[in-house]
Amino acid sequence: MNNINLESYAKEIVDKFSNKITKVHWNNDELHLKTELNDMPKICDYVYKNLNARLATIICSDERKNIGGFTIRYVFEKPGIFIFVIVSTGPSLSFPSISLHIPAATLYEREIKDMFGLVPIGNPDTRPLVLHEHWPDGVFPLRKEFELKTKTDRQKKEYRFLRVQGEGICEIPVGPVHAGIIEPGHFRFSILGENIIHLETRLFYTHKGIEKLAESMKLDDALLLSERIAGDESVANSSAFCQAIEKIAQVEIPKRTKKIRTIFAELERVYNHMGTLAGISTDASFPFGAARLNILKERLMRLNESLSGSRILFGVNRIGGVRCDITDENKKLILETLSEISDDFDKVIILLKSKSSFMDRLRGTGVIPKKVAYDLGTVGIVARCVGMDVDTRSDHPYGSYGFHDSKTPQELMQHQIDLQKRTGDAMARFEIRVHEVRDSIDVVTKSLDLETDSLFTSIPERLEPFRSSLGYAESHRGQTLHWLMIGEGNSIFRYKIRTASFCNWPVIEQAVLNDIVPDFPLVNKSLDLSYSGNDL
Amino acid sequence: MTKSVRKDIMGNGIETIKSLANSLSGENYRGSVIFTAQPTNEQKKTLENICPTKALFPIKENDALGLDNGKCIMCGYCSNAAPQTIKISNKPSSAAKTKSQIIDYSSPQTFPLAKSYEQIGNELKEKIKKMFGRSLAIRQVDAGSCNGCEIEITALNNPIYDIERFGIHFVASPRHADVLLVTGPASKNMEIALLRTYEATPGPKIVVAVGACACSGGIFGDTYATTGGIDKAVPVDVYIPGCPPRPEALIQGLLLAVDRVITDGS
Repeated sequence: MNNINLESYAKEIVDKFSNKITKVHWNNDELHLKTELNDMPKICDYVYKNLNARLATIICSDERKNIGGFTIRYVFEKPGIFIFVIVSTGPSLSFPSISLHIPAATLYEREIKDMFGLVPIGNPDTRPLVLHEHWPDGVFPLRKEFELKTKTDRQKKEYRFLRVQGEGICEIPVGPVHAGIIEPGHFRFSILGENIIHLETRLFYTHKGIEKLAESMKLDDALLLSERIAGDESVANSSAFCQAIEKIAQVEIPKRTKKIRTIFAELERVYNHMGTLAGISTDASFPFGAARLNILKERLMRLNESLSGSRILFGVNRIGGVRCDITDENKKLILETLSEISDDFDKVIILLKSKSSFMDRLRGTGVIPKKVAYDLGTVGIVARCVGMDVDTRSDHPYGSYGFHDSKTPQELMQHQIDLQKRTGDAMARFEIRVHEVRDSIDVVTKSLDLETDSLFTSIPERLEPFRSSLGYAESHRGQTLHWLMIGEGNSIFRYKIRTASFCNWPVIEQAVLNDIVPDFPLVNKSLDLSYSGNDL
Repeated sequence: MTKSVRKDIMGNGIETIKSLANSLSGENYRGSVIFTAQPTNEQKKTLENICPTKALFPIKENDALGLDNGKCIMCGYCSNAAPQTIKISNKPSSAAKTKSQIIDYSSPQTFPLAKSYEQIGNELKEKIKKMFGRSLAIRQVDAGSCNGCEIEITALNNPIYDIERFGIHFVASPRHADVLLVTGPASKNMEIALLRTYEATPGPKIVVAVGACACSGGIFGDTYATTGGIDKAVPVDVYIPGCPPRPEALIQGLLLAVDRVITDGS
């Protein structure tokens, strides 16, 4: 995407709303448009509908001390550009909801209501989201006056689930403690016979207060925290966090470190996809395939260990570079292991594809309608499985992505044809994962021609207070966005995290509507959503 | 590394590791923090400040530096700051029955040679057989973990670790369980669910806290949304430190858990 094109977006919006936009400002690839609270819905609507931009996140921050109000940033995304529509609430404790026009905004607005106590006027869903029913009223953790270590009493209140009524309809409540070794969440099925009529998910059981906690941390410590947002996305999340700081400090990290980050990010993708494919195989009642794929996952985790000292790649990144070098010896190890793994992987996939009982389970299961995926602002595999061409690595090339971007017209055409064929079912997600495993192995191999420059650039001792920036990366689940505002004395003023899971979770309620209850585990696994990454 | 375990993936060779040597944890693995020398006063201050989870703390009585393995998340910041004093060892720190046992003191120490996965597993198998005459049933509860510990617990069930051959079985309901394997800092939203799972488990029951978060809150600490360790919510019998603990460490913790059943039962 060239600059002229980006400028044209800015011009289009500013021309249209010239009297309503009070300030236009560029921050790297972010176009900041300041406006008034009342004009915001119209501008958001225009950006969403006319510019066809996806709602990437809504960031609220408590800036009452500085500017006398909460600031809300509506972030829209198009390839190459992030459009920020920025408003200040002033003394008011409410803001107009945009969720009726932009369905994806619903959850963000409910989150803001819980964490900041700002009421989204017009949002039909007023139930609590993050803070469950046992939290007392008037507790708003992300307000500045709220002490991190406040302990609250438990209240006796009840959560209102949507009730489906009618003859023969009954409810199955599942969780938060599940039968398998997975994270906690509550699912409430309304069923007629075996058919799922309605599914409601209740999450945020693993809410650990990460965003608030980060505000009390040093930058280096917050990096460790960002790795632990979701244990299996550690490289993606910490890379996005580091990127945000590097942009604020306006430093360019050495080419070598960019490539090393790419290598680890892709290794992370491979081992996780391997695990998910194994899970799909288990849930489709084919444990043999799962066992084979789990062996491959274990081998990859051992590779991770010898490269980084951690089986799940903790401690790879540092602000301004990386902590783990890749030596010539490591390169040999990577090449050997990956070539063995890709041989074995091909054999397992041929086996799986030859089993009609396995393939039949996936085909037509958990179909996501394209409109639903688009409306809910999905990212990653969930978006790609319905044919949306969404990938942060190509939409907003970061790090060393784009170094090897030399696709021939034929390959690009093939890519488009593949996208059109995607049907949004578990089969499509299975195929994309298989494809991505091969792709990632290819990227790792290509990235091994490392430059010989240093492993990090030093970051200025003092970062300018109240500068902010967006860091982003594509994890194996999809885009992860980290928005960071620096406070005084190198502290963190606000750290907003939006992982792919937050965008993709609502989809599951729609994906199971044509299925029966026993298909649910398979649909869930094929989507591969993180609870911890969603709940923060 | 992979050479020793590699067979044709589709072949029917044995995938589990039968080697008795302690070959599983690689040289670079960050398993535990050990003191190689007595830290100077200046170093003590730096180390205390640099530790993100306050795992390094001053001991008032003897003016030494203590290391709480239950808090340590293996970030390695301390050994970068004082490489002469602190080393990262590839041996996972061992599980313990009380919180005070997972604290190390800054006297230079030589690390005891850890047993291999296979050795611990066989020991465990004997004990379970003697004690129960059937499998040991485990229910895993995630009380707010980042999913890192779950990855390692799932790995116990893969064909390489294959924990079921030692008579350990993961069950779907707490009502069938002897042991609760709990991860995460006990988030406030999960506290009631954890308590109810505990109450649903028939006695005698053993609770094992897995990972730094479960032992102490780890990096998530004790905040408005967490309780700062599983033992604030339910009584804990065995603590397994690590971030996340590798399969060897997990199985060693389970060995202690079975011991606990034996001592409690008699």
